[in-house]
Amino acid sequence: MRHWLAPGIPLFFLLTAQAEAASTIANETGTGNELNINAILMFFVFIALTLAITFWAASRTKTRADFYAAGKNIGGFQNGLAIAGDFMSAATFLGVTALVYSTGLDAMLFVIGGTLGWSVILLLVAERLRNLGQYTFSDVVAFRLQRKPVRTMSAIGSLAVAIPYLLAQMVGAGALIQSLFSLPYEYAVILVGVLMTFYVTFGGMLATTWIQTVKAVLLLSGGTIIGIGVLAMMHFDFSVLVSAAAEAHPKGDAILAPGVMFTDPITIISIGLAFVFGTAGLPHVLMRFFTVPDARQARRSVAYAIGFIGYFQSLIFIIGLGAIVYVSNNPEFLNADGSLIGGTNMAAVHLSKVVGGDLFLGFISAVAFATILAVVSGLTLSAAAAVSHDLYANVICDGDSDRKTELRISRVTTLVIGLTTMALAILLEGENVAVLALIALAIAASVNFPVMFLSMYWSRLTTRGALAGGYAGLATSLVLVMLGPTVWVSLLGFDQPVFPYAYPTLFAMLANLGFAFWFSVSDKSHRAFAESESFDSQWIQSEIGPVQEIP
Amino acid sequence: MLSQTDKEILSNKNFHRLVAVRRWVSWLFLLVLLGSYLAFGLLSVYLPSVLARPAFTGGVVPFGIVMGYAILALTFIITLLYVWIANSYFEPLERKIIKEVER
Repeated sequence: MRHWLAPGIPLFFLLTAQAEAASTIANETGTGNELNINAILMFFVFIALTLAITFWAASRTKTRADFYAAGKNIGGFQNGLAIAGDFMSAATFLGVTALVYSTGLDAMLFVIGGTLGWSVILLLVAERLRNLGQYTFSDVVAFRLQRKPVRTMSAIGSLAVAIPYLLAQMVGAGALIQSLFSLPYEYAVILVGVLMTFYVTFGGMLATTWIQTVKAVLLLSGGTIIGIGVLAMMHFDFSVLVSAAAEAHPKGDAILAPGVMFTDPITIISIGLAFVFGTAGLPHVLMRFFTVPDARQARRSVAYAIGFIGYFQSLIFIIGLGAIVYVSNNPEFLNADGSLIGGTNMAAVHLSKVVGGDLFLGFISAVAFATILAVVSGLTLSAAAAVSHDLYANVICDGDSDRKTELRISRVTTLVIGLTTMALAILLEGENVAVLALIALAIAASVNFPVMFLSMYWSRLTTRGALAGGYAGLATSLVLVMLGPTVWVSLLGFDQPVFPYAYPTLFAMLANLGFAFWFSVSDKSHRAFAESESFDSQWIQSEIGPVQEIP
Repeated sequence: MLSQTDKEILSNKNFHRLVAVRRWVSWLFLLVLLGSYLAFGLLSVYLPSVLARPAFTGGVVPFGIVMGYAILALTFIITLLYVWIANSYFEPLERKIIKEVER
């Protein structure tokens, strides 16, 4: 099983393959916009604010609990905003709007799925996570299983989610900033990379949480203004908006029916699973449940987060329909060949100009950038924690690490991750990064979530089962993505995909659960027996939290 | 293997009541939500015409959009319901258990 410990090899192969393709594909994102002074001004105001937050947070970040979990002092409401902020990434705001813009009703699967994943967290995971863990979700998996091998696996799972996800956001950020601010791609990537490294290294979780909170408020208000603006132009009649969208869209009434994009059941189920269970496996999201003082605040956090996210997702559908009506036929936003300037991802940004003119366009551009910056900071911190808390402190130092050294290691890791992702993001310019985001969610749903879920709910799970399941899920998702249409056909240029589906989640999740089940049940060792025995005390703590021992 | 406290908790009636009710509530809510999502997915593959047909006679808004928003609303309602049950039932019970055990 040891050779599966190196998911970096196939991933690296993937990245170099993409980089080669990148050099041959001409850069398609046009920089049609003239310099937008408003956007740049607002952007600098935001950067100044976040730097101020970082300096303030740096003076308060001394212990491990400060660095990884903001001193465990964040309230439920604010943590809810920060969680919502983590989820409302550029991929949701720009990507799902683009999906509504091009497919109509099919995008509803994403709108619902994005919200539903959080109810899984609320109903099954949040309170238990807070009751059992310290800083990362690996703490929970390692609660009664063998610490070293299990933590190594879940740290690899965290990194395998965080790093591709981070790269996808960075490449997207570069293209976005290029078209918003007419800044060369490389500078844009370096700017994002330097800022995120700075926030995380000095401000830790406290700075990351506050930056995420500020950005969530900005994004929610910006989205509300666009949504209300669209509805106002339609005299607040939703059916007028719907019929106007069908009239304006080249596919006409077809966008009011499913089937424009997804038609086969396996794909739809895999997408659904990735959302519903992948969200509960994202390490940077799970980390947020350790920033609150207790399980009650953890529960309140998710409840608020569901409110904000559900509201935002409902807005996205309106914004997408609005973009079909006001952007898709407006020559101001189209290239000579009729395609959208900056690609369909820019639909929401263009719409903001229709709604509120240049000033509002500037505001939304700055918010979009702030969004990326905040999300990449959270991801970087979770990757750094996987290395310093899980691998260094618990695997290498056997749980007996020096606080100062551990913090130094996490800061150095942040720096290394920052530099590496900047370099890779520059190599990947102009590439379609959907595949990276796809790998990230698939791994979150098929490595992290099932192992965490089983360790919480199934007494018979043993170390052997958890390892077999986790690595099987990881290998299956990587191999299937590589043999699937996204990599095998689009990137490597073969005619037919070996594996016909773009989304591997269904199969990879089943592989994880199947392996975990079989290798646990067939494990007759003494250790396995002891691990099942200690389930009861873990179970008690997960239900009612740590209880004072009777003297 | 088990500590004295753990043994007492395991023999506490309220603890088992808390666990049973919470398990029942969580899984029921989850089943309702995932079931409605699955229904939406299956309809869009096997009976797309159901989602495409207008939700109200003479209207233009397709049933699929109404169903989507209805599932979002359901998620809100279930979230509020769960938080309410947790605050008014689970938490007092948890405190009671801890008190009983620590006595």
